[in-house]
Amino acid sequence: MEKKTKEKLVKSFYFLFPFLSVAVALELLIDFGVISTKFIPSPSVMAKTLFELATHKPPPPTLFDHVFGSLYRLILGYGLGVLIGISIGILLGMNKVLHRSFSPILSLFISIPTVAWVPLLLLTPLSGDETIVIAVFLGSFFPIVYNTMNGIRGVGKELIWASQIMGAGNTAVFFDVLLPGSLISIITGLRLAIGYSWRALVGAELIAQAWISEGAGYLIFGAMFGGHPEVIFAGLVIIALGGFLLDRLIMDPLERKTIEKWGMVKER
Amino acid sequence: MDMTKVKLQAIDVNKTFGGGKDKVIAIENLSFDVKENEFTVLVGPTGCGKSTFLYMVAGFEKPTSGKILLDGHLIQKPGPDRGFVFQEFVLYPWRTVLGNITFGLEITGVPKEKARERAMRFVEMVGLDGFENAYPHTLSGGMKQRVGIARALAYDPEVLLMDEPFGSLDAQTRKVMQGELIRIWEEMKKTVIFVTHSVIEATYLADKIVVMTARPGRVKGIIDVDLPRPRDYTGREYLRIRKEVLGLLEEEVMKSLRTLPESK
Repeated sequence: MEKKTKEKLVKSFYFLFPFLSVAVALELLIDFGVISTKFIPSPSVMAKTLFELATHKPPPPTLFDHVFGSLYRLILGYGLGVLIGISIGILLGMNKVLHRSFSPILSLFISIPTVAWVPLLLLTPLSGDETIVIAVFLGSFFPIVYNTMNGIRGVGKELIWASQIMGAGNTAVFFDVLLPGSLISIITGLRLAIGYSWRALVGAELIAQAWISEGAGYLIFGAMFGGHPEVIFAGLVIIALGGFLLDRLIMDPLERKTIEKWGMVKER
Repeated sequence: MDMTKVKLQAIDVNKTFGGGKDKVIAIENLSFDVKENEFTVLVGPTGCGKSTFLYMVAGFEKPTSGKILLDGHLIQKPGPDRGFVFQEFVLYPWRTVLGNITFGLEITGVPKEKARERAMRFVEMVGLDGFENAYPHTLSGGMKQRVGIARALAYDPEVLLMDEPFGSLDAQTRKVMQGELIRIWEEMKKTVIFVTHSVIEATYLADKIVVMTARPGRVKGIIDVDLPRPRDYTGREYLRIRKEVLGLLEEEVMKSLRTLPESK
């Protein structure tokens, strides 16, 4: 037990070391007047700003409004992307005709950066929130469809045969072979999608900031006009932390409990 | 042992792949019988269609023409009256050893507790007690194939089909597995069709060896091996039969080497 805590401490030190060293260096450079604080706030000011945004009661929207506003859109858009993406991916993976006709289009659409859809969506009567949710959905949908489809198609025919000779019908083949057999690929899709969605979210919030009243992207955009680099940096920290935590808190445990346990990926 | 009833019949089986210029005749007019509880081994040079034939018996593939009958009924699709053991094991990585073995029982609707009980008997039979909760990726090749054999037998099929099951094992493990397979077979009394290109293996295991020609695969000769088990790899009679099979096979191997550049 003690050894484990020690290991954890060492790990967090390695993780924090680059941040701390850059912060200290930046602080010193600013203190000695090498860098102007016009564009880059000193790390101490940044920390103070984050602290203030989080603890004070500024007129709404508060920091939490921004974070939860963004998170809400993300969960909605990503959730839709997962549900619809996996369903359509399975269809395209199982049906040869559908696969042959739709996979070229899929490769075409997957290369469009998600934020590029936002101006078009804003021309429609959709609200700012809806637009961003759709952007997040699109960001997650394509990698999920693509990877689910490939996962299903990649399940070896011998795995299917082995179940059929034991008497498996189509339902059993699907639930007991195709689905678990493509999980490694589906998880890859989910993981890519969470990164894409997070990016799509902030990007869309930046573009659609005039249509909305809170969110991480909105915070940054507003701070630009107010001339507050320290708020922009605070926003960036939140965005980075958000993306990092989503990956660690959702995707890592999911992988550990499934494909890592089954030896389908090398343990990291 | 009652070995008079014909269990499986191959009648003028033909199998071609592709068409036009790329047409490959894999099997041509293949006919032979397999009796109930008989251990039949198919040997032949690489690419002679012996695995393809086994796939057709399993119902994974269909003959282009001709018939394969099991108990007089035409084989049309895979089903639990047969069990299949693959060369590369083909276990389900997301299922434990026990989970792999209970799979066939689950599908046929055997209650969970009963399936577990029955599967445990097979875990013991193949000598994997203590490993029932392990995942396949933690096992060695020999252990994986023990799971493969237990899985194929657990739901009590009538015919066991084995496609070079020991082909990817090292020589020592292979020998051990051959001995164990015979022990299990004598205990279970199954009709077995076993594909290999090892004459040593064939002579050790078989009641009947079907030697196939180089592509297109036909029956080159059938040799009955009427030797008591367990067999002595150095016995005079064993060696004589081995030599006979080898003689038949060698011609075909030479032929297959000459025709190899044309094949895919």
